[in-house]
Amino acid sequence: MQQNVTMPPLGEDAGNECTVSYWQVEVGDTVAADDPLVEMATDKATFDVPSPLSGKLVKTLVEEDDVVKVGDTIAVIDTEE
Amino acid sequence: MRASGTRFPPWLKKRLPQGGRVQAVRDLIADLGVHTVCQSAHCPNLCECFDRGTATFMILGSVCSRHCRFCAVAKGRPQPLEPDEPERVAEATRRMGLKYVVITSVTRDDLPDGGSAHFADTIRAVRAATAARVEVLTPDFQGDAAAIDRVLAARPTVYNHNVETIPRLYARVRPEADYRRSLALLKRVAAAGVTVAKSGLMVGLGERDDEVCSVLDDLATAGCQMLTIGQYLRPSSAHLAVERFVEPAVFERYREEGLRRGLRWVASGPFVRSSYRAESAFESASSGALSQGDPDDNEGDQSTRPV
Repeated sequence: MQQNVTMPPLGEDAGNECTVSYWQVEVGDTVAADDPLVEMATDKATFDVPSPLSGKLVKTLVEEDDVVKVGDTIAVIDTEE
Repeated sequence: MRASGTRFPPWLKKRLPQGGRVQAVRDLIADLGVHTVCQSAHCPNLCECFDRGTATFMILGSVCSRHCRFCAVAKGRPQPLEPDEPERVAEATRRMGLKYVVITSVTRDDLPDGGSAHFADTIRAVRAATAARVEVLTPDFQGDAAAIDRVLAARPTVYNHNVETIPRLYARVRPEADYRRSLALLKRVAAAGVTVAKSGLMVGLGERDDEVCSVLDDLATAGCQMLTIGQYLRPSSAHLAVERFVEPAVFERYREEGLRRGLRWVASGPFVRSSYRAESAFESASSGALSQGDPDDNEGDQSTRPV
């Protein structure tokens, strides 16, 4: 089943935006829940955002240097269930 | 604007906790209407600390009367004090089940006592409602000895006051503060003999190593026993720029220099903040295993020992 991955809060409460650094998983590859999925940068640090699901990364909806808001859909993962 | 395109060195990377207690802590804080410096200062450790069920409360309102150029806390005309704030902080401490709570504040130069009675009331309210140890992180109260003594009389477990930066940079970084006044506060706290004096220093604002060591000398002479040293990180493009990202090995050297001067406990690392893991810091400092945090606490995203 294909499921959307949304941007979780990074926690700084500083506008709820961050910048995509790079995807740590390539489209078509599988990822385990809790493994790093994408690196995001805020004004204060970079963060490894873990995958909320196990499955195949079907699609990424944001690219490097894109600004993302908390709650935005950033990827689609096929959980193969 | 957050998308500043800043690229951080590899040691300034954190892992976001998955789910956990972060939202529950946010909800509780919002429900009780208490403020946290974690949120107001845009702390990069927020999710990690909230996920552990901890937070650092900020009292005396959410608007600061000073204009420090490193700090993200709102500045301007502060609100009137809320008399029930001490009780709400105590209730938050109780509901979160904290055994160790850190309470800081905005600076309130507009209040005759600088908010010191409110600080003391909050310590007492927490003590009445819980068995938690209380660490306070206070402003300088403009050097008012009576205000400092008022807080000391409530017997905080640890009394923290941050010198923040080296004296040469005060005019640029915290223009309404005074390095000697901050040192005098720490000296008074240490001399009282009823609590542990603690301080904190940011690096990356343009200080030289010899200037950092000079501050370590001053803190040791003042009787400060615990110290945190962390990387300054700019909250927004409207704040002071980061002059350098201090390497983990340099942080380690600062820690050693602090210990060599007689400080009992020093945490020094990129993401170290003054209240970060304050409970285990205090336990380490009082157990005799003084110089560093518990290596088991290291979650792998800290290039130096966590507090």
